[in-house]
Formats: sequence, structure tokens, C-alpha cells
Amino acid sequence: MFKLSSAGQFRRVYIIRLTVLGILILFPLTGYDYLISQLTQFIVYGIFAMSLSILWGYAGILCFGHAVFFGLGAYVMALVTKGMIPGIAGPLTASWVGILFAILAVAIFSIVLGYFLFYGRLSGPYLGIVTLAISVIAERIAVNWYYIGGFNGLVNIPPLSFASWEIRGLNVLFYFILAVALGIYLLCGRILRSPFGTILAAIRDNEMRAEFFGYNSARYKIIIFTIGASVAGLAGAFFAPITEFVSPTMLGFSFSTEVLIWVALGGKGVLLAAFLGAILVRILESFLSDLLTYYWIMILGLFFVVCVMFFPRGIFGNLLSERRR
Amino acid sequence: MDLTVQILNGLNYILVLILVAMGLVIIFGLMRVINMAHGEFFLLGAYTVVMTDQIGWGFWPGLFLAPLVVGLIGMAIEYICIRHLYQRFMDTILATWGMSIAIKQFIIVVFGPAGLMIRPPLPQMARFAGIEYPTYRLFIMLVALIIICVTYYVFLRTDFGLGARAVIDNRNMAAVLGINTRKMYRTTFTFGSALAGLAGAVMAPLMSCDPQMGLGFFIPAFLAILMGGTGTLAGVLVGGGVVGGADSLISFLYSPVMAQIVVFSIAIVVIRIRPQGLLGSKRYV
Amino acid sequence: MLTVKNVYASYGGSLILQGVNLSIAPKEIKALMGRNGMGKTTLMRTVMGLLPPRSGEIIFNNEPIHNLQTHEIAAKGLSYVPQGRDIFGDFTVWENLRLGMLKSDRSSRNIPEGVFEYFPILAERRNQKAGTFSGGEQQMLAIARALVTRPKMLLLDEPSEGIQPSIVDQISEILTKINRETGLTILLVEQNVEMVLDTAMSCAFMEKGQIVESCPIEAVRQDDSIITCHMAL
Repeated sequence: MFKLSSAGQFRRVYIIRLTVLGILILFPLTGYDYLISQLTQFIVYGIFAMSLSILWGYAGILCFGHAVFFGLGAYVMALVTKGMIPGIAGPLTASWVGILFAILAVAIFSIVLGYFLFYGRLSGPYLGIVTLAISVIAERIAVNWYYIGGFNGLVNIPPLSFASWEIRGLNVLFYFILAVALGIYLLCGRILRSPFGTILAAIRDNEMRAEFFGYNSARYKIIIFTIGASVAGLAGAFFAPITEFVSPTMLGFSFSTEVLIWVALGGKGVLLAAFLGAILVRILESFLSDLLTYYWIMILGLFFVVCVMFFPRGIFGNLLSERRR
Repeated sequence: MDLTVQILNGLNYILVLILVAMGLVIIFGLMRVINMAHGEFFLLGAYTVVMTDQIGWGFWPGLFLAPLVVGLIGMAIEYICIRHLYQRFMDTILATWGMSIAIKQFIIVVFGPAGLMIRPPLPQMARFAGIEYPTYRLFIMLVALIIICVTYYVFLRTDFGLGARAVIDNRNMAAVLGINTRKMYRTTFTFGSALAGLAGAVMAPLMSCDPQMGLGFFIPAFLAILMGGTGTLAGVLVGGGVVGGADSLISFLYSPVMAQIVVFSIAIVVIRIRPQGLLGSKRYV
Repeated sequence: MLTVKNVYASYGGSLILQGVNLSIAPKEIKALMGRNGMGKTTLMRTVMGLLPPRSGEIIFNNEPIHNLQTHEIAAKGLSYVPQGRDIFGDFTVWENLRLGMLKSDRSSRNIPEGVFEYFPILAERRNQKAGTFSGGEQQMLAIARALVTRPKMLLLDEPSEGIQPSIVDQISEILTKINRETGLTILLVEQNVEMVLDTAMSCAFMEKGQIVESCPIEAVRQDDSIITCHMAL
């Protein structure tokens, strides 16, 4: 790739972003209904991937159990909108309430967890594995909890509806989710580019030095941890009514692994790279998994190793980075 | 009398957990590598036995083959992948994680995703102290004890162990003294993997062998060494004892799910209060 | 014995050694002096292979060693006692000495008795943990450990740092004695002028990653200004 000046790089990234957006906006015109509904799901996965990129790429917090936030959001959304939570019924089972509660639940959970982890000076790998253990345990609890569906989870989750507008049409749902994703993308981008984000990067690069400058790294980490977890929870909350079911696998270990792979392959340091990583891996998977069945995951795992060894910025990381590296 | 059986079962679990955790702590303490694939080495050991069982050789050849096979695989992984990543600590975790996924999927490809059972090789029951207890479980405990003692002997009494402990303490100084640290890493990783493989082989007849069993041992083993102290061998004994004992006890009194939650909580609290582990010294955090 | 030719070395982005040229004859005791941060320790680490040189050559006993790994360099007969000694505190004196033996082919338990002749204090305290020793005793242990395999050359980084003067004198005596009796070549990084005058046969001064002056010890004895010129702040 030819080298560009900083401004040139920025312009190129901007063009790529608009192109991606353009492709996504125009996609429903192709009329392939099945693909459109698949892509809707993939976009939600993309939001999930962005949430991990916030934690991992921007804040340097490696989370092996990230799915627990997604799953928690999905379950809360399901329980609220199905009226399965005592005390929440009638008008309170509306979608917006579900989403709100989902985000709240995940936020509270992550704040508590964050306080525990970051003030305990639990660093890098230990933290990663602790979150893994949490994800495994959460999945087990869900499997054994009859009320929330046990092994099979919950079905018949009401679709999204706001006021009296029920989102049922395939294309409408697609554009709605796309709008949500865009909103999250812009919001997170804004946060990460702010002074807060700069400090976060400083903490990621050299925590001790940042502390010498007087920044309480634990507090910053908790804040970004909560933000990242909440975005994941939000993704889960939207996922549930789209697929109309939730199950313990959304909380657990293999899903956590999947999102890690998406983000590593796409590029953990750039939001859009992670987003694309999720979508493209999923698209590839839907094409190839029939062909390769069981081998697909194995190849993916090896690809992941190769990526870690030789492409630590991911496949799109360099392309989409705003700064010339 | 049921209590004695439960205690023996608990001891069984603790000893095997220590076997697994020992490999993990040696690799971590010496190489500063967290081997996320360690559970999968356990898995490979178990499936080696499944394989020998399926091709008609029975259990015992599998038990001998398992540490060799898994040790070789470990050596290969160290050579191909890990040795490029020694300066990149976090990346070794991710790379071994990727390998664990590939290995697990490989097992699924070859053996299928369902659980498989093999017949216990020593089906008799031993009778003592008024109870009946499976001979095979006693055998496991014996093997585990021997291996643990051998490992301790090697580390504390031999020249190799002396060099290894020096590398754990101060890698550069050990190199200055003439210790070939690269070779030490390779040997350590091979040894640690072989340990896990042996543990897997030994446990195979007692469990339903399915591709998820590796993770089921990796997490408690990891929690055990976090709790006991990541730089000490003695810490493994303590950590393994606490984790294994608590898990067995609470599984028996309540349920396995509850046990997992409780064990996890205990581990987290201990690490929070004392990040270097119960027996660890502050330097190794 | 040791020749350093035009060696450049850096830590990450900062270039520390900027064309170092130094040579030490067999059986010579040379002192390397200079203010803090001039690159003396970096030079020692580069010679030992702990830091790969960017360019230049290092020849030891007529063999190039700049491309070898640390343990291979050690096996060729070059021993190093770093600043701060780096004693394995949790190990006993006995174990520390055994560690020194590991690069040789003999069993690690065959520690030559000669070591204890030079350092009698270690014989008494064989089974004591090295971490409990005083600074001076640790230094003696570190040097003894470096010498158990009868190396051809010893690199010492600031042996007198943080040690009481009487023990510094002792160490100085022992070094001179060993050099006289066994012909051990020694490169000594030191800021302690007295020790240098007592022990060394020649001096080299380092400034900003280069050797700027070399002279025999008599020249320094006669003319104080050489020292003040290079060492004063």
C-alpha cells in the first residue's frame, strides 16, 4: 500500500467508512430476503464486536468471557418483554423498557465486577481468565435454571415495537438496526476521541506512567468497562427480539471465543475494523460451513493464531486506522 | 461409610487437579506463558486413551502413550508458535487460546462431539476399612502421588531443577551463568504438556470423554495456581487442595453448579485480598 | 583477550553505545570509568549477549562472540557479575555456587576447593540463604560463583557499590590475588577511585557511549585531573 500523508490517510479512511455505509444502505435493494435477515443479525454481532474492541483495543482490557454481557442483555430483554418478571407487566413490557432494563442490568453487573477486578489490581491475563470463568459459570446457571428456560432457553420473544409501531417488515428491521449500529458507532467514536479516550489510551500504553500523572487508572477502567459491557448488553437486547429466542449459549464460552476471533481478525484497535471483522467472518462462515462443516472452526482457530503472531492489528486495522502508523 | 468414599473421591479429584495445575504453574513460572491450551492437552491425553480403546489395544498402552504423544505435540507447538512470542506476553495467551480452539475442534472432527465412555481398566473393588472402593481410583491416586513426588524431586534435587528454578527467579542471570534458557523453555513446555496429557489419560475411564472436558479442568487448575501463588510449586498443593476440596465438598452437599460458583468466589476473594496468592511472594505478581 | 570494535547498541529507540572501541590484554585488570548513564553497564550487557549489538564486532579469546547467545558466551569462559549482584536470594550459598558450576561438564556438586580458599567466609555459611547476607558478603558470593568454573575473563559491574569500605578492600585484595595466581583477566566498571587505584592496571574512560581516553594506572596516579575531567559532574 502506498504511503499517504496524515491528511490523505484520514480522507481514505473516511471514504472507506462512507463506502461501507453505502453498501449496507443499498443492500436491501438486492431483494434477497434471507440474506437481508441474516445481515440484520450480523450487524448486531457487529455492535457486539465493537463493544469488545472498545474494551480490548482501546482500553487494553482483554475479556475472555465477553458474551456474558451480551447474554445477560438478551435474557433481561426477553424476560421483561415476555412479562416474566414479577411486578413488570402490561405497558411495562414494552420494548423500550426491556432495552432500558437490559442495559441497566448489564451496567450494574459490570460496575460491580469492575470495582472488584480493577481495584484489586487484577491485571491482564488474570482478568481475562476470571471473566472466562464467569462466562462459563453464567452459562451453567442458565442451563440449570428452569424458570428462564434451562437448556433450551426462551422462545416467542415479542418483536420490537415502539409506541404502536411494530417493527415486522424485513427491510424496516434492517434499517432500524443499521441506524442503531450507526448511532452506537458515532457515539463510541465520539467518546473515544474525547479527552477521556486519550487518557484511556495512555493508561493502556503505560499504566504506571499514567498514574504518575495523577490519573486513577482503576476508575477510568471501570468506566470504560461499563460502557463496553453496556454496549454488549444493548446488542444482546436487540438480538433477542430479532431472533425471537435466547439460550444459554449466548452467555457462554464459545460465543465469547467467537467474538474474540472476530475482533482479532478484523482489528481490535479500530471500531469499524472490529465491526467488519464480525460481519465478514459470519458471511464467510455461512458460505463455507456447509462445505467445511466441522473443519471451519478449526481453520478459524488456526487463522486466529496466525493473526496473533503476524497481524496483531488485524486484517483491517492498518487500513482503517486514522493515524499513520 | 459413605463419608469415607466421598473423602476418597475428593482426594482423587484434588490429586488429579494438582497434576494438571503443576504443569500449568511450571510453564507459567518459568516461561511466563499462560498456556490456554493446557486443558486441551488434558483432552488430548484422554482421547489418546479413547483411541487405543477404540482400536482394540485397550487402556494401558494408551496410558503410556498419552504423555509421550501430548508431550510431542506440546514440543511442536512451542517450536512452531510460542517461541516467537516470548517477548509478547499477552499474545502468548491469545495464541495458545487459538490453538486450544483448533485442537478441540480437531477432536470433534475425528471423534465427534458426543461424549464417549471407555471401560474402567481395573473394574474390581478394593475392600478395606469396612468400605468398598474402586481399585482404579486408588491406582489413579497412587500414580498422581508418584508423579507429583517425582516432579518435586526433579525440581528440588537435580541440576536440571536447580537451573529451572534459577530461570524462574531471574532469567537473565541464569543465562549469564550458562543456562540455555531456550532449551529450558522447550523442555519445560514439553514436560508440562506431558503432565496434562497423563492427567487426562488417567481420568478418561472415570468420565464421559467429551470435547469440553479440557475447559472443565483448566479453569479450576488456573484458579488453584492463582490462589496458591504463581511462582511456587508448594502453592500448587495448597491451591489444588483448597479448590479441589471445596469443589468436592460442595458438589456433594449441594450441586456441581453451586460448587463451581462457590469455588470461583473463594478464589476471587483470595486473589483480591492477596494478589500474590497464599504462598506466593510479592515478586512474582 | 577481549576486543570490542566499533560497537553500536541501543535500547529500543535510544542509541547508547555509539562506536565503542576497547581492548583488554590477557591477565590485565582494566577499570572502566565514567559518569552515570554513559553506557558502561550497557557495554557489559552487550558483551555478554544480553543486548544484541546493532553493529560492530566483539572478539573474545580470538573468537567472535557478538552473534552468540548469552549462555554460549558464558560457556566460552566469560563470567559476569552484574550491578547489584543478582544473587538468587532464596537459594543457599551452596546452591548459588552450584549454579555457577552448571555451565561446566562436571557435576555441580564438585565445587573446586580453591573457591573457599579465596573466600573463606562462604565455607562457614554454606547452607545459609543468600538473601540473608550483607551486601559485602553477597558480593563475595557473586564473585565466587562467577569463578567456580575458572573462567578466562571476569566482567564486574560496580562491585563496590553499597558495600562498606573494609569489605571493598578485601574484595580488591582477593581480585588482585586471583589475578596474580591464576592469570584471570578482569574488566572492572567502577566509580570508586580508591578501589580502581588499588586494583587496576589500566583505565579507560567512557563518555556518551564512546571510549574517550585510555591510560595506564600510573598516569592516573600521577595526574588527578584525568579523573576529575571524566568523572566530575
